[in-house]
Amino acid sequence: MIRGLLILMLFQGLGELISTGFSLSVPGPVIGMACLLVVLLLREKIDTDLATVAASFSQHLGLLFVPAAVGVVSFLPVLSTHGWAVALVLLLSVAITIVTTALVLRLLSPEITAAESDEGSGKAKPFKGR
Amino acid sequence: MNDLQEIWVYLSGLPLFSLVLTLLAYEIGLRLHHWSGRQPLVNPVAVAILIVLAVLVVAEMPYETYFEGAQFIHFLLGTATVSLAVPIAQGWRLLKGRIPVLLMATLAGGAVSIASASLLGLLLDLPDALLLPLVAKSVTAPIAMGIVDGTGISPTLTAIYAVLTGILGAISVRYLLDAIGMRQWADRGFALGIAAHGIGTSRAFSVHPDAGAFASIAMGLHGIAGAILIPPLLPWLRGLLV
Repeated sequence: MIRGLLILMLFQGLGELISTGFSLSVPGPVIGMACLLVVLLLREKIDTDLATVAASFSQHLGLLFVPAAVGVVSFLPVLSTHGWAVALVLLLSVAITIVTTALVLRLLSPEITAAESDEGSGKAKPFKGR
Repeated sequence: MNDLQEIWVYLSGLPLFSLVLTLLAYEIGLRLHHWSGRQPLVNPVAVAILIVLAVLVVAEMPYETYFEGAQFIHFLLGTATVSLAVPIAQGWRLLKGRIPVLLMATLAGGAVSIASASLLGLLLDLPDALLLPLVAKSVTAPIAMGIVDGTGISPTLTAIYAVLTGILGAISVRYLLDAIGMRQWADRGFALGIAAHGIGTSRAFSVHPDAGAFASIAMGLHGIAGAILIPPLLPWLRGLLV
């Protein structure tokens, strides 16, 4: 666990260094993520400790934005008048996004999609579920 | 009684209080989610936010005091963002020759997400403070909050929007994709990961491993694309919206 965290934080630091060093608008952690991705793809094998830490981060990603989200207290007055409008916007927008993405996938790869997916479900066991 | 009050003043001033409160609230959320049979509506993060809010109100604790302690959890957002590289790398061989198509779908989904939310927000006459965070809500919360950092857009609303988007996407995805006849698990997962990031991804994993793998790849790709493309577009979008 420690090695995994250490690798992630080193890349986070590297990303921050590049982001502030070149005053880029891309957040440091995203640059760190891109660097880590390149290294992982070049090395083929992924450190098991790193994989374990990353899996628990993805599983509990939501916990990490609870502290910021609780700040919603200061928006309660505005939200009490516009809350339903916000909910409606988010619902319609997410629905439109899901459908558009799915349609673009299908339009761009009508036959390959079906073939790859059958093949994929047959032999792909790259992930454990939860 | 005086002693008790002193103890409370001491305890509530420690970071420990906020940390325990946050973790406990999330743990309760996880249990409720599990008991509900993994209903997307009973989302652990939403439950945790409500519990923490309720405790702060009852304990009359200002948000700033709470955040001082909870910032240790908040800090890990950056580390978690870096960790998103791992599922992409693990899923890479699944992608094979499909990368250009998936990238196109990512860009299309991201653009439509921002455009639809902004337009609907304008139509419904949302005030600027509520309207602007819609621009970043399309990408996963840790990255979205990084994008709005220092722009004057509320990271709080960005996070709230991301959570609500995830819940709404996880609830509606089945009906939407059935309606348009999309059957492949991989593509279903990808569409959900693009639109409903983290919460959508965990929903996808609970339905099918292929869907989950593609959802986490989609979430990561969308995060990278958003982090690169949204900041330079932000002044222009702000000009259009405000």
